[in-house]
Amino acid sequence: MIHRRTLTLFVAVCLGHVLLISAQVQSRSGLPVIESVAFGTFAGVQRLTTGLADAVSGGWTNYFALRGAARENAALKQHILDLEVTIQQQQALVARTRALEQALALKQTLTDPLLTAEVIAGNPQPGTLTVTINRGTSDGVGEDMAVIGSRGVVGRVISPVSPNAATVQLITGREAALAVAFERSNAGGMAVGGAADGLLRAEFVPVLADVQVGERVTTSGQDGIFPQGFLVGMVERVNRSGADREIVIRPAVDFSHVDIVMVTTKKPAAVAAPSSGMAKSGSRP
Amino acid sequence: MKAVGLLLTIVVSVVLQVTLARYTVGGRWVFDFVLVGVVFAGLQWGPVAGLFGGTIGGLLQDVLSGQIVGVGGLAKTIVGFAAGVIGTQFVLTRPQARTIIVVGATFLHRLLMIGLGSLIDQQWLGVSWSAMLAEIGLNTLGAFVAFQVTSSLPGAMDRYRMNRRTRLSRRQW
Repeated sequence: MIHRRTLTLFVAVCLGHVLLISAQVQSRSGLPVIESVAFGTFAGVQRLTTGLADAVSGGWTNYFALRGAARENAALKQHILDLEVTIQQQQALVARTRALEQALALKQTLTDPLLTAEVIAGNPQPGTLTVTINRGTSDGVGEDMAVIGSRGVVGRVISPVSPNAATVQLITGREAALAVAFERSNAGGMAVGGAADGLLRAEFVPVLADVQVGERVTTSGQDGIFPQGFLVGMVERVNRSGADREIVIRPAVDFSHVDIVMVTTKKPAAVAAPSSGMAKSGSRP
Repeated sequence: MKAVGLLLTIVVSVVLQVTLARYTVGGRWVFDFVLVGVVFAGLQWGPVAGLFGGTIGGLLQDVLSGQIVGVGGLAKTIVGFAAGVIGTQFVLTRPQARTIIVVGATFLHRLLMIGLGSLIDQQWLGVSWSAMLAEIGLNTLGAFVAFQVTSSLPGAMDRYRMNRRTRLSRRQW
């Protein structure tokens, strides 16, 4: 049998939790001070464990990596040469675009240099798609800054942000959303996450827009969070049921392996909508 | 001693959870080692330990994930308390038997989380059975290893001490 005192304690603790939850739900805010202190403290532990795990796995992989190092080195040198040429071409294009934007008195759409960050921890709560990066307020990182990976958009910085660490909400997360543009059909819309299959769903896409499977989806820059032109993913399928249609986007980033990301330390100026009116995104309304 | 053991169990499980979660960011492999720690505490030290372990572990998870603080805490408090009550009602000394409790605890915890999330969002969030199955599988595996280690550790230590004593007594001084 359970003691009466134990049962009373259980009821009291549960009641305390319910009160804590209802206080936050009513005020629509979390516990900012407690969150940031606990997050900042634990970020140090996360950094330590990540360093330890990386040292162990690095030692193992580096030992085996030595076997094909010479061949890989030669291939990488060739790749660097190719990339240098591409960079020069891109820089020329950037300079030309900036000059044109200035000449036409347009808002600057090109992003400032990105800050490299390392993912130091996953989310402790299963099913919540956020990660922790090793950059924080001391590096100029703040809430609502875009996080980009080598293949495309990863997510945005959300609260809590500590001096040396920040939380990133992945675009596939339950409450994530971003303004997108379909490259071929030039239609605008909003890509929202939260689906169990890990794919994005497009919303607010004009009915007449001819969106096709395989079409590239990029950020439109309308939300004022994600800079324009970064790859979000590809249209995987368009499901039609009567007048309604569901556009499913496969993210370009493989979220099962995210270790190095880049943070845009300046928010871009919102640009005009491609073909539909959009609300501020980043988090679902 | 009990409080130190409880705190250590929860902190170790949270550290393990955030470290391993880094390698499963996409959400394909879902596991909750904090829940395993809470169930372990409940079975090992009774309902009060399960209750407090659940509260501390759950609140820590909530605070670190930037979600509404208390949701994970409440779910884990209920699960920890239930595990503690079961631990006092039945004789669960074998690791296999304890692992079965983790299966039930994972199922109950996921349902509680979905229920509480749906209540807060005021819309049914839906159950991803594949994710739940993956979580049950991984939690069970983690729990089995943890229970096996903790049950065989005292015996192994005793054997080591006995061997050492025997060797020392055989030695010619």
